[in-house]
Amino acid sequence: MKPANYAKAAWLTFMLILTFVVGWESYWRNQHYELSYNDDVNLWAATRQEIYQSSPARPVLIGSSRIKFDVDLPTWERNTGQRPIQLSLVGTSPRPVLTDLGNDANFAGTVIIDVTEGLFFAPIGSFPEKAANERVKAYPRWSLSEQFSFQLNRLLESKLLFLDNELLTISPLLKKLPIPDRAGVWTGPKFPDDIEVVTPDRQTIWTARFLADTSLQNQVKHTWLDIMDHSPKDPLPAPLLTRIMDETKHSADQIRARGGRVLFVRTPSDGLVYDGEKHAFPRAQYWDRLLVHTQTPGIYFADYPALSQFHCPEWSHLTTADAVRFTEALIPIVRQKTGWPISQRSATTLTDSTLSVH
Amino acid sequence: MVFNSYTFVVFFVVVLGLHSLALPWRVKKINLLLASYLFYALWNPPFILLLWLSTVVDFYMARLIAGEQRPLQRKLWLTVSLVLNLGMLSYFKYGGFLLENFTALLGAMGIVFQAVKPDIILPVGISFYTFVTLSYTLDVYRRKFAPEPSFLNFALFVTYFPHLVAGPIVRPEDLIPQFKTPRTATREQLTWGLFLLSLGLFLKVAIADGLLAETADTIFGLPFPVQPLDAWTGVLAFSGQIFCDFAGYSTCAIGVSLCLGFTLPENFRYPYAAIGFSDFWRRWHITLSTWLRDYLYIPLGGNRLGAFRIYLNLMITMLLGGLWHGASWTFVIWGALHGLFLCVERLARDWQTNRRANRPERIADDQMISRASVLPGISQTHPLSGFGLALLTFFLVNVTWVFFRAPTFGGAMLLLLAMFGVIPNGAPMLSNVAILTVALVTVGLVGSHWLLRDSSVLALSRKLPWWGLGLAWATMLIAVILTQKGSGSFIYFQF
Repeated sequence: MKPANYAKAAWLTFMLILTFVVGWESYWRNQHYELSYNDDVNLWAATRQEIYQSSPARPVLIGSSRIKFDVDLPTWERNTGQRPIQLSLVGTSPRPVLTDLGNDANFAGTVIIDVTEGLFFAPIGSFPEKAANERVKAYPRWSLSEQFSFQLNRLLESKLLFLDNELLTISPLLKKLPIPDRAGVWTGPKFPDDIEVVTPDRQTIWTARFLADTSLQNQVKHTWLDIMDHSPKDPLPAPLLTRIMDETKHSADQIRARGGRVLFVRTPSDGLVYDGEKHAFPRAQYWDRLLVHTQTPGIYFADYPALSQFHCPEWSHLTTADAVRFTEALIPIVRQKTGWPISQRSATTLTDSTLSVH
Repeated sequence: MVFNSYTFVVFFVVVLGLHSLALPWRVKKINLLLASYLFYALWNPPFILLLWLSTVVDFYMARLIAGEQRPLQRKLWLTVSLVLNLGMLSYFKYGGFLLENFTALLGAMGIVFQAVKPDIILPVGISFYTFVTLSYTLDVYRRKFAPEPSFLNFALFVTYFPHLVAGPIVRPEDLIPQFKTPRTATREQLTWGLFLLSLGLFLKVAIADGLLAETADTIFGLPFPVQPLDAWTGVLAFSGQIFCDFAGYSTCAIGVSLCLGFTLPENFRYPYAAIGFSDFWRRWHITLSTWLRDYLYIPLGGNRLGAFRIYLNLMITMLLGGLWHGASWTFVIWGALHGLFLCVERLARDWQTNRRANRPERIADDQMISRASVLPGISQTHPLSGFGLALLTFFLVNVTWVFFRAPTFGGAMLLLLAMFGVIPNGAPMLSNVAILTVALVTVGLVGSHWLLRDSSVLALSRKLPWWGLGLAWATMLIAVILTQKGSGSFIYFQF
């Protein structure tokens, strides 16, 4: 082939790619997909860098998906003047992140730990720790090159919808092919597409489509039941539970010894999910014991009328509007429960009904 | 930085722009050297000191060796170079492994010794650049060539960013002569270089990361046995992943370098079409296998010291080649298996040669039946029998990959037993989509290797019409865009 023909091939390539990118982006926009940021190792690491500025008004949030939905970061900021640092990970136990914070000699901030019992009390080294362990391990090696790529990628992500790793790349698209699964193989939970988006500060929000469509909400409810079906049925062995409690206390003590603060929060769930959680993880044996063992304050949503008035559309996470109200109600309760110096900025008033306990 | 990153895109555009300016050649080389240091430093800046140390010491040791006539003094300067390079490699790569085995050995002797686990980070590319600089001092010692008088040329030879962190492992004669005269890529080189960069990214991002990594990681990460179908799918997924990851990196490196006007040596030549293990090592990680041949196998005596020493030398070379890949006994076993297969192949070839030598010149038709054997000699010249042998080689290579990828010896054995159905009632783990994907990629990979076995992508591209090449090129890049970032790092960075 002559050099001129190589040039022609290169131009054709360029035109085809340009056409594809424009077409692909337009297609997904026409499908009314909402723009979402990739909640990956890089976004977590970028957020992790901020923990040294943590304070009671700017706590580090660790946990699983519930606190990512339920604590509305702009609302918290509007009320306290500072935006929390969201380090929670979907479907993941927060314990590896708590260990990481405990071991970080430079961290003396405030940590709010969301307890979703099925994940928090997952056995040491089990699958629910995987994503957290990966991020904790990767963070110290997050190179300058990766940081620069992250900044460029973030710029592109803010404009282009198709750069969604979770939904619109080859791997998830292949999984959507109408090929039945093998008998006896469970390939993990199957959530419907385009039901949630992630913001640049790692909050997760339901899409308008999900909130408007009860059949989608029912699909997610069925997915929770499917997950519960595939979850271990036996209670946690006593020595393992004690070890989990001990390790949690050790990390909390490490943080407190440096002048930091720790608080547990049990965010709302309802319907069959809440019933299942109460059955599998009785409060007295898990939540109450956790607070006593670790000598740490805790806020259980069901104890406060202001926190237990919400309905989760799929039994496990609050709607965006309820997350705003939940956050507004949570801040004064945190202040009252812990005595932390969180300044009051908004018109939210500390009424007796807000702070009352069941 | 890695080739599959936005940082590299910006970096490469700037480097390419600077290299195409009408600047003096020396300035362009300084630009390339500084860019290479930046390329490396963006990983972990302090480790650049090791690179400098290796560069400076080997540059001056080679000069001292060349200027010295006394054998003992020459050996002394060579030893300084060897101790520095191999010492760095041993400390950073094998420090933890040696301590762990030392502790185990003491334990076996009844001595309780609890060592503090060393927290050593492996500097990226150390296995590659120490081999690059070692080949230089060794060749000067052997008087193969005179030491390079220009420090700039030598430093650029060691540090040149396309090959720095994961090869190809260049030799002085590959690169230093190219730095002596001004070079800029021709339009054809630039276009072909960009095509190779696209091909490399396609292999790495779309195939290795996008289609295969998840399945391989799932199967190799399980602590319990799986069904044979799942086990084989996991191993085939890794087989494709390791090739596409590493050959992808080499192809990117060759393409990037070509865009700057420099050629790097070929590192892969369709290895899954190899007929036998000696052929495999002529096609897989070629620059490592030739390095091991020239600086280990031949100095050990190579083929010159009789049959026993040939087999011994083969085994030593492959065991150390295995250990080069990682500080773990599983890599040693991987190397040992390759050594064993090479020995068996050599035995079979010698036996066949002897049989031919003892055979009468011509066999009469009526004698044919009496000479037929249960296992007839397989002719490699016949396409079908050649393909059959290639498949047999591919099968055995896959068996060895189990030890290469498995985190522990126990994990490798568990998977091997599952592959051959020895463990009944293993769990089914993979979806039909995953199995089909791996099957299609494997067939595509082996098929394309076989078709291109005696050809090349360049030769194929010359046969295609311009629109065909453009279409193929666009398809690869669209697949990269669809896969997006992938896992980021390349597997061979950890070696």
